[in-house]
Amino acid sequence: MAEHDIPAGITPPSVPPGTPPVLQLVGISKYFPGVIANEDVSLDVRSGEILALLGENGAGKSTLMNVVTGIYQADAGEMILDGYGVQFSSPQEAIRAGIGMVHQHFRLVPAFTVAENIHLGWSETPKNASSAILEARTKELSERFGFPVTPSARVEDLSAGEQQRVEILRVLARKARLLILDEPTAVLTPTEARDLFRALRAFRAEGNAVIIISHKLDEVMEISDRVTILRGGRKIGTWKTTECSPRMLAATMVGREIVRQNLLLRSENAAPRGTVAELSLENVSVRDDRGVNTLADVTLNVFGGEILGIAGVAGNGQRELTEVLTGLTAPTRGQVLLGGSPAKSGAAAFARQGVGHIPQDRLHSALAPSLGITDNMALREYGQPPVGGDGLYRASAALALAREIADVAEVTIPDFAMPVRNLSGGNQQRLVARREIRIADRVLVAAYPSRGLDIGAIATMHRYFADLRDQGVGIVVVSEDLEELLNLSDRIGVLCHGRLMAVLDAVDADIERIGLLMGGRTEAPGAGMAAGQGADLS
Amino acid sequence: MMRFQRFPTAPARLVLAWRAAALVAAALIIGVLLALSGRNVFELAELVLKSTIGSRFGLEDLALFMTPLILTGSAVTVTSRIGLWNIGAEGQFYLGAIGAAGVGLYMPGSPLLVLPAMAIVAMLCGVAWIAVPTLARAWAGVNEIITTLLLNFVAGLLTYWLATGPWRDRVTGALASTGRIHVAIPEMWGVVHWGFPVALLIACGLAAIMTWTSWGYEVRISGANPGAARYAGMPMRARIIAVMLLSGALAALAGMFEVAGTVHRLQGGMADNFGYLGIVVAVLARRSCLAVIPAALLMALILDAGIVLQTQQLAATVVLAITGLVLLLIAIGDELAHYRPVAPAIRPATSSSRPEKKVTA
Repeated sequence: MAEHDIPAGITPPSVPPGTPPVLQLVGISKYFPGVIANEDVSLDVRSGEILALLGENGAGKSTLMNVVTGIYQADAGEMILDGYGVQFSSPQEAIRAGIGMVHQHFRLVPAFTVAENIHLGWSETPKNASSAILEARTKELSERFGFPVTPSARVEDLSAGEQQRVEILRVLARKARLLILDEPTAVLTPTEARDLFRALRAFRAEGNAVIIISHKLDEVMEISDRVTILRGGRKIGTWKTTECSPRMLAATMVGREIVRQNLLLRSENAAPRGTVAELSLENVSVRDDRGVNTLADVTLNVFGGEILGIAGVAGNGQRELTEVLTGLTAPTRGQVLLGGSPAKSGAAAFARQGVGHIPQDRLHSALAPSLGITDNMALREYGQPPVGGDGLYRASAALALAREIADVAEVTIPDFAMPVRNLSGGNQQRLVARREIRIADRVLVAAYPSRGLDIGAIATMHRYFADLRDQGVGIVVVSEDLEELLNLSDRIGVLCHGRLMAVLDAVDADIERIGLLMGGRTEAPGAGMAAGQGADLS
Repeated sequence: MMRFQRFPTAPARLVLAWRAAALVAAALIIGVLLALSGRNVFELAELVLKSTIGSRFGLEDLALFMTPLILTGSAVTVTSRIGLWNIGAEGQFYLGAIGAAGVGLYMPGSPLLVLPAMAIVAMLCGVAWIAVPTLARAWAGVNEIITTLLLNFVAGLLTYWLATGPWRDRVTGALASTGRIHVAIPEMWGVVHWGFPVALLIACGLAAIMTWTSWGYEVRISGANPGAARYAGMPMRARIIAVMLLSGALAALAGMFEVAGTVHRLQGGMADNFGYLGIVVAVLARRSCLAVIPAALLMALILDAGIVLQTQQLAATVVLAITGLVLLLIAIGDELAHYRPVAPAIRPATSSSRPEKKVTA
């Protein structure tokens, strides 16, 4: 546990005499309206090393790298390249100075061949060259840097791993000495990832430098020489990887000082936690259009009167999980049970059976922004009396319903015919939440409920959830914010790569363990899995 | 210091005001240009007014123009409610005319039987014509704008072929036309036939369906935000199919009314751009089924005025240019209606209290 005591902001080990770092950042700050993306970030990368940049989503990693590569300009601080201060006003200037970045989403022309993509927008591309010449040059580059590619292949026909090699080769051909990779293994198979790491080590051996952005702890431990951790836009510290453990990295990345409010405290006449699952998934898998399992073999029970938190880095199956839980997506394999019997398919049927849904993106999926508030509040109840029935839509009943929802949501609305997009994000969220709580007799599924809200609105939302829990409804809260989950949840499930790594009892869930599971590690495989099975019984 | 800011919504009052201004501006520009080319503008204006809204004959003409425009305008408007564009009203109009003429030419019997049969067959023909674009849209996501548009040319040529070929008038030997159909929609007011009030009723009925049925509600939600419709579990595909087929039937009914009410025969080129003008009417109506009626009136006025001007030796292209100018200025007016003055936030006291009010608003 000694690593825990390293104070935040410790200065990195001193630079070997004589060699300035390849890149040094001093006090870099970048602000967006109302947001601190980076503040006072200092770090350095030396030649012959791989530096890992670690942090949660929104910690400011990508912004910082966009500043380094000239996409953004820093609001404060300086960049020192090989001992000289530099300023880049465009990515072209950065690449000319030897800094190349490979983005998470590739920036290649799908309809062009590999050779054409490599030579596109490059000052050294020979004029009027035939495709044979371009391909020969590409072949030569590919051999020189050790990234095998097929020069004549079209990029759209390549696998993600091959496309990534083209991207890297494109950057290396422009004589990059500092290579920045943004979550390079997110799209790779384990074999491709191993190949990439081998090539990166070879690149490092020639005295070049690499910055690799990741939140996969295993990878960071395997490939990097040093680790810099960002949190909330600020640098927490830099450590030698050999002095780190995944445990310590997880705790540092997430932050230790998490305040538990007493939302977990139930009111006196609260409904007890249910013993029979209101909503359960049995071995549920979801396969996307490309045949990838976005949700793999998930078994999960939601009981009445409890809040189940779902933790995980975004994009690890959260969307699919919420869609399966609310009937928007039918599972490819496995079964969804509502109140113990197989659920009728379809989102409307789920809603009728008491499943409410606060989706991730309110304005784009829970509301019709251009329509009036009345129409939007009727979205869940237009099929039944008093609003619906006999094929009719009773506007006056819908207006009464909208007034009722606005009243409990404590939102003052001067004109219910006004387009709902005229409301503030916080008020939209309150209305959607109350509309869904009205129909949630069984289960409420809320995805990232506090995203985009200020502290007051978040507190209101959490109070709604606690009240609903006390009424005996089961609540699923998907969030990346572990603090939020620990404040609210009775149990916490962790998703990684579409798998439910474990379901932990929140009382004895510690943040380090959740962090490790989020990164795909079950430090003691037996214990982690057993918790997943056992917790369902609680 | 006043500052104008673009708002995502345009209140109806502002739209109307700006459109009135656009019409006045168009009249002024046209007047100045005509005066510059040596015409007596006041005489022309008087003539136009007299022969459109200033005389019984002119009013009858307006109603005759409005009838198909209301229907094709409604056809385009209903698809726009679900976020689609039926550009093929012209073709469905022709198919309706073909279906109506086929029944009218070859089915004997009293008008009480033949007229409803003409209407039903016409609408079925229109539905059949839009069926392929509909299914391609609903199941394969094929862009309906292209498919409906291209079928217009097929329908137009099919009409020419029938009118000059198998169904040609063998009695009088008229070119590009079938013989006269033995039944007609009865006239109610001069040359205005009962199709006019029926078209008005249909427009009102559609507005009622959109506002007061759960089907209409689902169509409105699906059109405003497909994501929300999916979220609420609405049967989007079924609604898309129903709306597009309805649209085809409406445009075809316009064709039937022209055949049975005005032209009394099938003629090549008889759609006379009513299908395309339906798109203009729908744009003017801003997706409101009820507003189709005044929009059709405006369009009919422009068409009617155009004919009057042509009798005064103005070229048909001038009339087209005038139509274009009016629509351009109205489009500019619609855009301007999105701009409203905002109070400048100079004093921090007001600037901090204003947004507070907005939040609760």
